[in-house]
Amino acid sequence: MAQTRLDRSEQVNGWAFVMPALVLLGIFMIYPIIWSLWMSFQVGRGANFSFGGLANIQRLANDALLIKALTNTCIFFFIQVPIMIVLALLFAVALNDPTLRFRGLFRTALFLPCVTSLIAYSSLFKSMFSADGIINQTLLTLHVIGTPIPWLSDPFWARVVIITAITWRWTGYNMIFYLAALQNVDKSIYEAARIDGVPAWARFTRITIPMLKPVILFTTILSTIGTLQLFDEVNNITQGGPGNATLTLSMYIYNLTFRMMPSFGYSATVSWVIVVIVAILSFIQFMIARDRRRAS
Amino acid sequence: MRKMTQLGFGARAGGRLAAALVGAAMLASSAFVGAASASELTVWCWDPNFNIPAMKDASERYTKAHPDTTFNVANITQDEINQKLQTQFLAGVTDGLPDIVLIQDDNIQRFLQSFPGSFVPLSDSIDMKKFADYKVAAATYDGKSYSLPFDSGVAGLFYRTDYLEQAGYKPEDLQSISWDKLLEIGKDVLAKTGHPLISMDYNGDDLIVLMMQSTGQWYLKNGKEPNILENPALKTALETFQKMAQAGVIKSVSGWTDYTGSFTSGQVATVPQGVWITGTIKSVPEQSGKWRVAPMPILEGVEGATHFTSNGGSSWYVLASSKHQDEAVDFLKTVWGSDVDFYQGILINQGAVGSLLAAREGAAYKASDPFFNGEPVWQNFSDWLAKVPTVDYGTFTPEARMAVRAQIPNIANGGNIDDALKAIDAQLRQQMQ
Amino acid sequence: MSFALLRRGGVYVFLSIATFLSVFPFYWMAVGATNQSPDIVRGKLGFGGNLLVNFQHLMTQVDLPRVFGNSFFIAVVSTLLTLIVSSLAGYGFEMFRSRIRERIFQLLLLLLSIPFAALMVPLFVMISRAQLNNTFTAVILPGIASIFIVFYFRQATKAFPRELRDAARVDGLKEWQIFLFVYMPTMRSTYAAATIIVFMNAWNNYLWPLIVLQTPDNKTITLVISTLTAAYTPDYGVILLATVLATAPTLVIFFVLQRQFVQGMLGAVK
Repeated sequence: MAQTRLDRSEQVNGWAFVMPALVLLGIFMIYPIIWSLWMSFQVGRGANFSFGGLANIQRLANDALLIKALTNTCIFFFIQVPIMIVLALLFAVALNDPTLRFRGLFRTALFLPCVTSLIAYSSLFKSMFSADGIINQTLLTLHVIGTPIPWLSDPFWARVVIITAITWRWTGYNMIFYLAALQNVDKSIYEAARIDGVPAWARFTRITIPMLKPVILFTTILSTIGTLQLFDEVNNITQGGPGNATLTLSMYIYNLTFRMMPSFGYSATVSWVIVVIVAILSFIQFMIARDRRRAS
Repeated sequence: MRKMTQLGFGARAGGRLAAALVGAAMLASSAFVGAASASELTVWCWDPNFNIPAMKDASERYTKAHPDTTFNVANITQDEINQKLQTQFLAGVTDGLPDIVLIQDDNIQRFLQSFPGSFVPLSDSIDMKKFADYKVAAATYDGKSYSLPFDSGVAGLFYRTDYLEQAGYKPEDLQSISWDKLLEIGKDVLAKTGHPLISMDYNGDDLIVLMMQSTGQWYLKNGKEPNILENPALKTALETFQKMAQAGVIKSVSGWTDYTGSFTSGQVATVPQGVWITGTIKSVPEQSGKWRVAPMPILEGVEGATHFTSNGGSSWYVLASSKHQDEAVDFLKTVWGSDVDFYQGILINQGAVGSLLAAREGAAYKASDPFFNGEPVWQNFSDWLAKVPTVDYGTFTPEARMAVRAQIPNIANGGNIDDALKAIDAQLRQQMQ
Repeated sequence: MSFALLRRGGVYVFLSIATFLSVFPFYWMAVGATNQSPDIVRGKLGFGGNLLVNFQHLMTQVDLPRVFGNSFFIAVVSTLLTLIVSSLAGYGFEMFRSRIRERIFQLLLLLLSIPFAALMVPLFVMISRAQLNNTFTAVILPGIASIFIVFYFRQATKAFPRELRDAARVDGLKEWQIFLFVYMPTMRSTYAAATIIVFMNAWNNYLWPLIVLQTPDNKTITLVISTLTAAYTPDYGVILLATVLATAPTLVIFFVLQRQFVQGMLGAVK
């Protein structure tokens, strides 16, 4: 009897604590999402809509721009995320050494980029990478290049700039997660490994990486989400160009909704493409994590 | 029979009822009280060096004659204006919208056609014959014109006399030439001075638009059907652009700042652009006397080709949701629609060539400008203005321009033009669904 | 020995280069704020004497105190409400487990990835129907329940010693009292880290304020920067000065809370 009362009070308390958040999320997230699911079956322009069944889904199938946006998002994801995570890990491992001098200074400096607003750092990078900007001038002066690199007007280089910018902004952020996780790792494991003559690189791949796997997974998920939502940077630095080389999914949705003849039904459908992709990716990531955990 | 649903879940109906009530109340009050009550008109526009001071000047003139009407001219970027209008029209919500708004010509039809009734038809109260035809046509829908045509966007070839002289060219050599001839000149200029002929944002299609529109052609036929594959003007324009890019006379830039920087810092020899660029060109006083303006080159071999074209012009619109509609319309009518003296002021101060045809009879238009070597540039621009071919931008111009932009880098790198045209056509058709 | 020394040297070189690349844009921004636009475009690297002129230009275009007041109000209120609502939920999900709530939590994680662009128009319709257009309430409300912060607090709560709660229960404290008087003080550094993240996001938020705030009186500093950048003849000196001013508050918050921040992150990734 006492047991059930406790259970009931646990239940009541459990709901009471999460309720404010759930109500707000219900209103400002779930409802709009359901609304947009309903919208994705509507066709029409402007403010008038009619039920279109699967018309929007058919339209998806031959939308070259969507494919382009997906490809770009994949390119950003498969190139930028690994670079950033490896860099962040290296920084974290280097900074985790208690004998390293100026640790606080390095840590602060590397984290600093994430306090800038997306708009602010985008305009900053845009000015630095402009045709006659400081980057080209420095490279010319150092004789690294003979002619200025068309950073923002060439599809390849524009992608390089976007990847550089995102890496600059977010590496420190990821580093902090790893650094925090590393400080939880038992130092004696490293000591033992060192005494056993395990080389530094092997210590990194055999001890550090496995220990940090949950955090790496977590940051990978965050970065996946971030890449799928990529908007402010491309909108401000390259406007998705040149030749749609930096058009992202979020920017495509924004364009469909605000820059073109409004077709909200279709932009809702494209939004749902992202939801489905993320659901699949998250599922895969969690499965990998679970398998590894079982295996080890 | 398909069931039509409103986006706002019927919120619109309530809104309409409320609007009707407010309208009725306003009618009643104005009938009894007259128009004596003080009111503030909100205006949205975007350039602190150009349309904002021009609008402020206009509003001061009006307030002087009508002390009860004051103005709040807000600086809202063009992207923000489009996005705010579109969100609010979509949502069926009008609070927070201004009374008067500036919209670029190639963007207005999508608003007029997808959100009918959102703007006040100005042709009901203002005689549209007073303005340049192509400007009026851009904002005409269903037999009514909605704009008070402003910034004409009429284009010319701005050029650096010093660079051209070094390459052995005189101002006469740039009169009535073709784009191919300009390319030859560009090669000489590049070889002898090291300066590229023009700068261009490869994420934009301004140059293509300038060339194509000079022939009276547009990306869309009758504003509705894609006009890509069977459009000789577009094909020739893209070919010309490719030849220029391959010859190395185009300096590729990214974004607006880079673009303006390329001539304010004296890198390029010419700037083919709408007259509204004047303010930016003149923002560098050291370059005074080094510039002149020639008519646009002609797109040779294309039917209907002229030296007259436009790009990026914009106009004023009164929102139907405005609570001060009558005043807003009266303001546009009395100042923007007839005050010739006002147009002289904004011409001198902002380099703004309006679309009111009568304005060119004013003194300022006849004057020459020392910045441009004492050429009567304003007279020239206003003469060209009257001859710009009319095109129907239709509703899908943003889509068309995006489709063209997507192919620009590829074309610049020597890609096959026919393939590019096919790709443009395919993307445009997909987006027009 | 010399090999170890070499490696140690390599680490310093690597970190120094990274630090330089990391900090250089800040230097560039500060230098730019003191220079004229043409000098900036030409890539001038030294400080100039144009700071006051840039400041005057900025002041004539923007009502700075007002804009900063708006940004501060929105950021501070958002931060407070988000921390309260999200930490309550994070605590609730972790401390009172049930199958339904676990399912809900998993659903929330899935929703985390939905791009804001997809929610914009429906949200705007709701806000407008509630007649909240052009109010700070409209900016703040949709962001209060942040799934990410809920998740973050839940992770951090895993490290919260249950014995503390059990002891408090024995002492007869109610659940909300335990949260208020035991949990919150214990988790100070978690709150500090969350403060930095939430404040930064609220302060830097762009797209949503852009949609709901109509009048210039209500603009935030982020919106002002985008307006300045979009002018036909943008003045880079003024833009970079505005960028400096916009970055300063988040920098200060970060430096003040830095120590707790690292500790807070530590708790969250256990």
